[in-house]
Amino acid sequence: MIEIRDVQVRLGKFTLRDINLKIREGEYFVILGPTGAGKTVILEAIAGLCRIRRGKIQINGEDATNMPPERRRIAYVPQDYALFPFLNVLENIRFGLKGKKQADADVDRRIDHLAHLLGISHLLERHVGNLSGGEKQRVALARALVTSPRILLLDEPLSNLDISTAKYLRLELERFHQELGITTVHVTHNLMEAEELADRIAIISAGKLEQVGTREDIFLSPCNETVSNFIGAPNILSCEKCSDLGHGLIEAVCGGVPIILPNEGREVRKIALFPRDIYVSAINPPGPSLNRFRGLVMKIEPFSSLARLKVKVGDNVLLAEMPKSAMEEMAIDVGREVYLIFKIRGIRIV
Amino acid sequence: MHTSRVYKGIRGEGVFRAATVGALALLCLFFTGILASLFTYTDWGTLVSTLFSREIFLAIRLSVVTATVATVISVLIGIPAAYAISHAEFRGKSVVDTILDLPIVVSPVALGAALLVFFNNPVGMGIEKYFMRFVFEVPGIVLAQFTVVSALSVRLMKTTFDSIDPRFEQVGRTLGCSKVSVFFRVTLPLARNGLIASCILTWARAVGEFGATITLAGAMKPKTETLPVAIFLSLSTADIEKAIAVIITLVAISAAALLVLRKIGKRGFPV
Repeated sequence: MIEIRDVQVRLGKFTLRDINLKIREGEYFVILGPTGAGKTVILEAIAGLCRIRRGKIQINGEDATNMPPERRRIAYVPQDYALFPFLNVLENIRFGLKGKKQADADVDRRIDHLAHLLGISHLLERHVGNLSGGEKQRVALARALVTSPRILLLDEPLSNLDISTAKYLRLELERFHQELGITTVHVTHNLMEAEELADRIAIISAGKLEQVGTREDIFLSPCNETVSNFIGAPNILSCEKCSDLGHGLIEAVCGGVPIILPNEGREVRKIALFPRDIYVSAINPPGPSLNRFRGLVMKIEPFSSLARLKVKVGDNVLLAEMPKSAMEEMAIDVGREVYLIFKIRGIRIV
Repeated sequence: MHTSRVYKGIRGEGVFRAATVGALALLCLFFTGILASLFTYTDWGTLVSTLFSREIFLAIRLSVVTATVATVISVLIGIPAAYAISHAEFRGKSVVDTILDLPIVVSPVALGAALLVFFNNPVGMGIEKYFMRFVFEVPGIVLAQFTVVSALSVRLMKTTFDSIDPRFEQVGRTLGCSKVSVFFRVTLPLARNGLIASCILTWARAVGEFGATITLAGAMKPKTETLPVAIFLSLSTADIEKAIAVIITLVAISAAALLVLRKIGKRGFPV
């Protein structure tokens, strides 16, 4: 278990303020926040790579605040993987084992096992400069895991990859974590990544920890506006009735509004609908009438280049977003009746 | 209107290109012209016989040996010093940086004169008496070269260390390396090409060092006659053929060093 108590780190003008966190044994913990929020600094503090001004870090009950990084048994995979360019793949993986009292056969067996698990057995003799992004990430993971660390720190592990590789590796990370059961702290700015992988999520903004909780906690009860805005200020709707429509679809009635969504095979009690996934129109647009509802504009608030509209639909008041220019063009104002279309792929069961 | 603007733009680009390429061609012509003029002054027979004379051989040997010793000492002190100035944060770092830059900008003659003055004060005289003689001696050549090139060496190596992403060292630490171990197992291998390039440039600069050398070690044939000193002595006795032979030797050594440097520069790591 990692326990971070009142930790403060100052790096130039940036300050990480009074961080308090408890990360459980074997947990997949995601630190989520915008760029420059201080996510990487938390990882560096856990790994012992930056100086802590104040506070305490305990790892498995042992005070690690002033422990040098090499004694913490924490593996760290940075955003760009930092594979040593003067070594080949196998030498990179072996790097952390040099000088350790282990029989060669044990070392070889461990490397074989990890290489097999990560699907890089065929790359061992290759030069790291000739690997793709996904391959580099797997090699970096193997290098990190071969030393049998007690904690794995991943800094934006999927952000340098193309969408399809990132999606595939997201599933793989989940599989590795299940197989190895290692406590993992994963830093990202990608909400979807956090949602899919995390047992628990910590939201950080401007060096301050805003909220820690499960995916449901964060979605259903964001503790403040910063969290709510960061996760996209989702509309949370309680479902009164749910019926299977066949063809992989279900109909959930929320506040008297029948919403159609993909059937994920689990009970629907609440759904989350992001303002960005609601299309607003002054006229009834052409096309299928799936998830199309009439509503009344209650309030309009500016939100950077967008406008946020509170629209009453059935018994629900929904938050929707649209560009200011489009709103002005369609002469949408408070008290006007509008049409809302919910993007079916944007509806999430929580 | 629009077409004319485009046309003017194209013409402007052409003028700009002609001006830049012209300046480059002028510089190349200037340098090659100077070097080519050397061959017009003397005939091949005299040149070859002078080149293979014993005096030139001794000057080459002295230059190569002293420059190599000065470079080795510069590198041995320069690597840790460059690492420290690149990585450590301390009060007065900018002052230290400026002190290190001084020998690069100060005239080598001034540095040589300062060394000469130093060996005339009690500490310097004590070193001369009980440790090693430098003034007008071969060790004086090494010391003069070291004084001029060590700062350059530190500056070049600092640039190499600065260019290394600290993440590599951080990952090394998390993989079980101490600070010292990370320096030898991660930092040095990453800096290898840059350090070799620094060594070559330092060595080439030491081979060509003249001002500080002649001031501290003098110009005694053949005792302290390095290649640049040989050029000076030949010119002072109006032995132009010999001066040309030495200049060609010096240019050849420098060109070889630069060729090796280019080769290293191209090697790099395929990251």
